[in-house]
Amino acid sequence: MTFLDGMASRSEVRAAELPSAELMDRLWEGKAALHRRHANLPLPEKVRLVIELQRIVLPLIARRRALRSWERPWEIEP
Amino acid sequence: MAFVDALRALNTMRAEGVVEEYAIAGAMALVFWTEPVPTFDMDVLVVLPAARGSLLSLEGIYRWAESRGYATQDEHILIEGLPTQLVPSPNALSREAIAAAVEVDYQGVLVRVVPPEYLIALYLQTQAKTAKRRERAAALLDLPSLNRRLVDDILGRYGLSF
Repeated sequence: MTFLDGMASRSEVRAAELPSAELMDRLWEGKAALHRRHANLPLPEKVRLVIELQRIVLPLIARRRALRSWERPWEIEP
Repeated sequence: MAFVDALRALNTMRAEGVVEEYAIAGAMALVFWTEPVPTFDMDVLVVLPAARGSLLSLEGIYRWAESRGYATQDEHILIEGLPTQLVPSPNALSREAIAAAVEVDYQGVLVRVVPPEYLIALYLQTQAKTAKRRERAAALLDLPSLNRRLVDDILGRYGLSF
Protein backbone atom coordinates (compact mmCIF):
# COMPACT_ATOMS: atom_id res chain seq x y z
CA MET A 1 0.00 0.00 0.00
CA THR A 2 1.37 3.46 -0.81
CA PHE A 3 0.17 6.90 0.08
CA LEU A 4 -1.02 9.29 -2.57
CA ASP A 5 2.29 11.17 -2.53
CA GLY A 6 4.15 7.95 -3.50
CA MET A 7 5.67 7.31 -0.14
CA ALA A 8 6.01 3.79 1.21
CA SER A 9 3.50 2.42 3.70
CA ARG A 10 3.46 3.66 7.25
CA SER A 11 5.07 0.47 8.53
CA GLU A 12 7.82 0.67 5.91
CA VAL A 13 8.49 4.29 6.81
CA ARG A 14 8.63 3.41 10.50
CA ALA A 15 11.09 0.57 9.89
CA ALA A 16 13.32 2.86 7.82
CA GLU A 17 13.35 5.49 10.58
CA LEU A 18 14.32 3.07 13.32
CA PRO A 19 17.98 2.97 14.34
CA SER A 20 19.75 -0.24 13.57
CA ALA A 21 20.56 -2.70 16.32
CA GLU A 22 24.23 -2.11 15.53
CA LEU A 23 23.87 1.62 16.09
CA MET A 24 22.07 1.07 19.39
CA ASP A 25 24.79 -1.34 20.53
CA ARG A 26 27.45 1.26 19.70
CA LEU A 27 25.55 3.93 21.59
CA TRP A 28 25.11 1.76 24.67
CA GLU A 29 28.77 0.74 24.60
CA GLY A 30 29.76 4.39 24.28
CA LYS A 31 27.69 5.22 27.32
CA ALA A 32 29.19 2.31 29.26
CA ALA A 33 32.67 3.47 28.26
CA LEU A 34 31.89 6.96 29.57
CA HIS A 35 30.76 5.52 32.91
CA ARG A 36 33.95 3.45 33.10
CA ARG A 37 36.10 6.53 32.33
CA HIS A 38 34.37 8.49 35.07
CA ALA A 39 34.75 5.63 37.51
CA ASN A 40 38.50 5.51 36.85
CA LEU A 41 39.19 9.24 37.18
CA PRO A 42 41.58 10.42 39.90
CA LEU A 43 39.68 11.12 43.13
CA PRO A 44 40.14 14.92 43.09
CA GLU A 45 38.74 15.02 39.58
CA LYS A 46 35.73 13.00 40.74
CA VAL A 47 35.12 15.48 43.57
CA ARG A 48 35.36 18.31 41.06
CA LEU A 49 32.68 16.54 38.99
CA VAL A 50 30.45 16.17 42.06
CA ILE A 51 30.62 19.94 42.53
CA GLU A 52 29.90 20.50 38.86
CA LEU A 53 26.94 18.08 39.02
CA GLN A 54 25.59 19.99 42.00
CA ARG A 55 25.53 23.16 39.94
CA ILE A 56 23.79 21.36 37.07
CA VAL A 57 21.09 19.53 39.02
CA LEU A 58 20.25 22.25 41.54
CA PRO A 59 18.02 24.28 39.19
CA LEU A 60 16.32 21.07 38.08
CA ILE A 61 15.56 20.07 41.64
CA ALA A 62 14.37 23.60 42.44
CA ARG A 63 11.76 23.29 39.71
CA ARG A 64 10.22 20.27 41.43
CA ARG A 65 10.37 21.23 45.08
CA ALA A 66 11.77 23.66 47.62
CA LEU A 67 15.48 23.16 48.21
CA ARG A 68 16.63 21.94 51.61
CA SER A 69 19.00 24.10 53.58
CA TRP A 70 22.09 22.01 52.74
CA GLU A 71 21.33 21.70 49.05
CA ARG A 72 23.86 24.17 47.73
CA PRO A 73 26.94 23.75 45.56
CA TRP A 74 29.94 23.21 47.80
CA GLU A 75 32.24 26.18 47.92
CA ILE A 76 35.36 24.12 48.37
CA GLU A 77 38.34 23.08 46.32
CA PRO A 78 38.37 19.44 45.20
CA MET B 1 38.58 25.29 52.17
CA ALA B 2 39.22 22.02 50.45
CA PHE B 3 37.67 18.57 50.42
CA VAL B 4 40.89 17.13 51.79
CA ASP B 5 40.59 19.41 54.83
CA ALA B 6 37.18 17.90 55.61
CA LEU B 7 38.71 14.44 55.43
CA ARG B 8 41.55 15.54 57.68
CA ALA B 9 38.99 16.80 60.18
CA LEU B 10 37.35 13.35 60.33
CA ASN B 11 40.69 11.84 61.30
CA THR B 12 41.22 14.56 63.88
CA MET B 13 37.81 13.85 65.34
CA ARG B 14 38.80 10.22 65.78
CA ALA B 15 42.28 11.01 67.10
CA GLU B 16 40.77 13.30 69.74
CA GLY B 17 38.34 10.60 70.86
CA VAL B 18 35.20 12.42 69.78
CA VAL B 19 34.29 9.27 67.88
CA GLU B 20 35.79 5.83 68.34
CA GLU B 21 35.66 5.09 64.65
CA TYR B 22 34.16 6.43 61.46
CA ALA B 23 33.62 5.49 57.84
CA ILE B 24 32.37 7.55 54.93
CA ALA B 25 29.16 6.06 53.54
CA GLY B 26 26.43 7.12 51.15
CA ALA B 27 26.91 8.90 47.87
CA MET B 28 30.38 10.25 48.64
CA ALA B 29 31.53 6.71 49.41
CA LEU B 30 30.20 5.79 45.96
CA VAL B 31 32.42 8.47 44.47
CA PHE B 32 35.48 6.75 45.92
CA TRP B 33 34.56 3.46 44.23
CA THR B 34 32.68 4.34 41.08
CA GLU B 35 31.64 7.39 39.09
CA PRO B 36 30.63 10.73 40.63
CA VAL B 37 26.95 11.18 41.43
CA PRO B 38 25.15 14.37 42.41
CA THR B 39 25.02 14.77 46.16
CA PHE B 40 24.93 17.73 48.48
CA ASP B 41 26.24 16.24 51.69
CA MET B 42 28.61 13.66 53.05
CA ASP B 43 27.31 10.86 55.24
CA VAL B 44 29.72 9.52 57.82
CA LEU B 45 28.85 6.51 59.95
CA VAL B 46 30.39 6.82 63.40
CA VAL B 47 30.87 4.72 66.49
CA LEU B 48 30.48 6.96 69.51
CA PRO B 49 32.43 6.51 72.72
CA ALA B 50 30.60 4.39 75.30
CA ALA B 51 27.75 6.47 76.65
CA ARG B 52 26.76 6.99 80.24
CA GLY B 53 23.26 5.60 80.42
CA SER B 54 21.45 4.01 77.52
CA LEU B 55 21.02 6.90 75.12
CA LEU B 56 23.57 7.90 72.56
CA SER B 57 24.09 11.58 72.14
CA LEU B 58 25.79 13.66 69.49
CA GLU B 59 26.52 16.29 72.12
CA GLY B 60 30.23 15.51 72.14
CA ILE B 61 30.39 15.92 68.37
CA TYR B 62 28.51 19.21 68.43
CA ARG B 63 30.82 20.54 71.18
CA TRP B 64 33.86 19.53 69.16
CA ALA B 65 32.39 21.13 66.03
CA GLU B 66 31.72 24.35 67.89
CA SER B 67 35.26 24.38 69.26
CA ARG B 68 36.58 24.18 65.69
CA GLY B 69 34.27 26.89 64.44
CA TYR B 70 32.16 24.51 62.37
CA ALA B 71 28.60 25.78 62.09
CA THR B 72 25.63 23.46 62.21
CA GLN B 73 22.79 23.69 59.75
CA ASP B 74 19.73 21.60 60.58
CA GLU B 75 21.18 18.12 61.04
CA HIS B 76 24.43 18.86 59.24
CA ILE B 77 27.75 20.06 60.51
CA LEU B 78 29.65 22.25 58.04
CA ILE B 79 33.05 20.61 58.30
CA GLU B 80 35.47 22.77 56.31
CA GLY B 81 32.48 24.01 54.34
CA LEU B 82 31.15 20.53 53.59
CA PRO B 83 27.66 19.68 54.91
CA THR B 84 28.30 16.48 56.81
CA GLN B 85 25.91 14.16 58.60
CA LEU B 86 27.54 12.14 61.34
CA VAL B 87 25.30 9.13 61.85
CA PRO B 88 25.79 6.97 64.94
CA SER B 89 25.86 3.37 63.79
CA PRO B 90 22.18 2.33 64.04
CA ASN B 91 22.54 -1.41 63.72
CA ALA B 92 24.83 -4.43 63.43
CA LEU B 93 25.20 -4.09 59.67
CA SER B 94 26.48 -0.54 59.87
CA ARG B 95 28.83 -1.47 62.72
CA GLU B 96 30.19 -4.25 60.55
CA ALA B 97 30.47 -1.83 57.61
CA ILE B 98 32.45 0.63 59.72
CA ALA B 99 34.78 -2.12 60.93
CA ALA B 100 35.30 -3.28 57.34
CA ALA B 101 36.09 0.23 56.07
CA VAL B 102 39.00 0.57 53.68
CA GLU B 103 41.61 3.30 54.04
CA VAL B 104 41.85 5.31 50.85
CA ASP B 105 44.52 7.88 50.11
CA TYR B 106 43.09 11.24 49.09
CA GLN B 107 45.86 13.74 48.35
CA GLY B 108 48.05 12.22 51.06
CA VAL B 109 45.30 11.88 53.67
CA LEU B 110 44.17 8.38 54.54
CA VAL B 111 40.42 8.28 54.99
CA ARG B 112 38.14 5.38 55.90
CA VAL B 113 35.45 4.50 53.38
CA VAL B 114 32.77 1.82 53.55
CA PRO B 115 33.70 -0.78 50.93
CA PRO B 116 31.34 -1.31 47.99
CA GLU B 117 30.15 -4.72 49.20
CA TYR B 118 28.81 -3.15 52.38
CA LEU B 119 27.51 -0.06 50.58
CA ILE B 120 25.26 -2.36 48.57
CA ALA B 121 23.87 -3.89 51.74
CA LEU B 122 23.38 -0.51 53.42
CA TYR B 123 21.47 0.72 50.39
CA LEU B 124 19.20 -2.32 50.50
CA GLN B 125 18.20 -1.98 54.13
CA THR B 126 14.42 -1.98 54.31
CA GLN B 127 14.02 1.38 55.95
CA ALA B 128 16.29 3.04 53.39
CA LYS B 129 15.24 1.12 50.29
CA THR B 130 14.16 3.84 47.91
CA ALA B 131 14.28 3.46 44.14
CA LYS B 132 17.35 5.71 44.03
CA ARG B 133 19.19 3.60 46.59
CA ARG B 134 18.31 0.35 44.78
CA GLU B 135 19.68 1.91 41.60
CA ARG B 136 22.93 2.86 43.34
CA ALA B 137 23.26 -0.63 44.80
CA ALA B 138 22.69 -2.09 41.34
CA ALA B 139 25.34 0.19 39.83
CA LEU B 140 27.87 -1.06 42.38
CA LEU B 141 27.25 -4.62 41.16
CA ASP B 142 29.02 -3.63 37.93
CA LEU B 143 32.27 -2.85 39.69
CA PRO B 144 34.97 -5.12 38.21
CA SER B 145 36.67 -5.48 41.58
CA LEU B 146 33.52 -6.29 43.53
CA ASN B 147 33.67 -9.38 45.73
CA ARG B 148 30.36 -10.91 44.73
CA ARG B 149 30.64 -13.75 47.21
CA LEU B 150 31.05 -11.26 50.03
CA VAL B 151 28.01 -9.35 48.80
CA ASP B 152 25.94 -12.53 48.77
CA ASP B 153 27.22 -13.41 52.23
CA ILE B 154 26.34 -10.03 53.71
CA LEU B 155 22.92 -9.90 52.07
CA GLY B 156 22.20 -13.46 53.22
CA ARG B 157 23.23 -12.82 56.82
CA TYR B 158 21.14 -9.71 57.11
CA GLY B 159 18.17 -10.98 55.11
CA LEU B 160 18.51 -8.33 52.42
CA SER B 161 17.75 -8.45 48.71
CA PHE B 162 17.28 -6.27 45.67
